[in-house]
Amino acid sequence: MPTHGFLGRLADALARQLLSWLHRRVEPGSREWLDALIAESDCADDGWQRLRWALGGVPLVWTINGRRRMNEPTRGPMRARIVRGVANIAGIASGFAVIIPATDLATYFFRCHLFFGNQPGGCQEHPFVFASIAIGGGVLGMIIALALRARFAAYWWAVVSGFNTVGSVWYLRSGIVDLPRYGATQSAMLMAATFGVVLAAIMRDAPWTETDHGPVHHVGDSAGAPASFLSRHRIAALLIAGTISFAMADALIRMRDRHLVADNVNHYALLGSAMFAAILAGLIGRHGSRLSAKGCSGTE
Amino acid sequence: MPRLPNTSPQTLSVLELLLESPRSWHYGYALSQLTGLKSGTLYPILLRLADQGWLETRWTEPEQPGRPPRHTYRLTGEGAKAARTKLAEAAPSRMTRRLAFEPGGR
Repeated sequence: MPTHGFLGRLADALARQLLSWLHRRVEPGSREWLDALIAESDCADDGWQRLRWALGGVPLVWTINGRRRMNEPTRGPMRARIVRGVANIAGIASGFAVIIPATDLATYFFRCHLFFGNQPGGCQEHPFVFASIAIGGGVLGMIIALALRARFAAYWWAVVSGFNTVGSVWYLRSGIVDLPRYGATQSAMLMAATFGVVLAAIMRDAPWTETDHGPVHHVGDSAGAPASFLSRHRIAALLIAGTISFAMADALIRMRDRHLVADNVNHYALLGSAMFAAILAGLIGRHGSRLSAKGCSGTE
Repeated sequence: MPRLPNTSPQTLSVLELLLESPRSWHYGYALSQLTGLKSGTLYPILLRLADQGWLETRWTEPEQPGRPPRHTYRLTGEGAKAARTKLAEAAPSRMTRRLAFEPGGR
C-alpha cells in the first residue's frame, strides 16, 4: 500500500534523524552505549520498528548524561549552584518579562480588562491574541532558558507552553468565555501539579538505575553500595515540593482581590511557585548529596 | 522496604536469558526481542550490569560490509554467579507472580 510505504519511509527518516540528534547530545567519550543502540537499529525490519527502537535512545542518553554528570568532580559547588540558580531564575523571569508587558500592551490595544469573570469588555473576547502571547511567551522563555543552559527553567517553560496550548485548544473548542475565572485557578493548580511530576522525573538523582528505582549506584562504587534515604525517596520528596508549590500558587490566587496582584495574579503565582519549587528542589538535592558524600547507609 | 539492586523483573529476565548460554555473546536487538524489553529499558540495564562488572562487552566486526560494528554482551564469571543467586532468590516471588497472571491461576 503506497500510504503505508510513505509512512514507513517517514518513520525511518524520523528514526535516523532522532538517532543523529541523540548522537550529538552525548559527548564523544561517552558514546559507546548509544553507538551500540544505533548499530542495532539496522536490524529493525521496517521504519516503524526502527523508530520505536530509536525512541529507546532518549532514556539511554538521559542515563548516560546523568551518569556523566554524577561522576564529574564538583568544582566550587557553592559557586556552581549560585550560577545555576541565577541562570534558572533569569530563564524563568525572561519569559515573564515578555508575557507580562505583552499582555499589558494587548489589554491597552484592545481596550479590555483581565477580569476574573465573564464581564463585558473583558479580554476573554480576544482568545487568539492572549493564547498566542501565553504560548509564544512560553516558547520564547524555553529558548532563552536553553540558551542560558538553565535546564530547570527550560522544562518549566516547556510545561507552560504545553499546558497553555492544551488549555487554549480546550477553551476554543468548548466556547468557555469565562476562562480567566476558571483558567487562572485551574491553570495554576494543574501547572503546579504537572510541575511536581515533571520535576520529580527530571531531577532523579541516578536515572541509570533500574526502572524500579532501586538503590543508587555511582560508577566506581561497589555493586551493593547502599543509597541514602533521600536518594531512594527523591521522587516522593519532589512530589511533596510540587504539592507545596501548588498550595502556594493557590494561596496567591486567593489574594486576587488585592489590586496589586489582581491583573497578573496568574503570572505571579506561577513565578512564585516556580521559584519556591526550585529552591526546595535545590535544598533536597543538596541534602541528598551531603548524605551520599557522608556515606550514609540506607539501613533503616 | 527498598528493593535490592538487580531484582526488577526486567533485569531478572535479562539475566535469565544471558544465563541460558553464559559463554555466548548476545546482541542487543536479539535480547530485546527475546525478553520483550524496549531498547530504552534494556540498554540502561545492560549499562548498569556492565558498570557493576557483571557483564562483559565486545565490539564485533560487521557481518555485512557497510554495516557498523555491533556491540555484544555476555556475563562475566562473577556476573553469572551473582545472576544465579539473584534468580534463585527471586524464584518464589516470580512463580507467584506468574501464577497470578495465568488463566486459572489464583
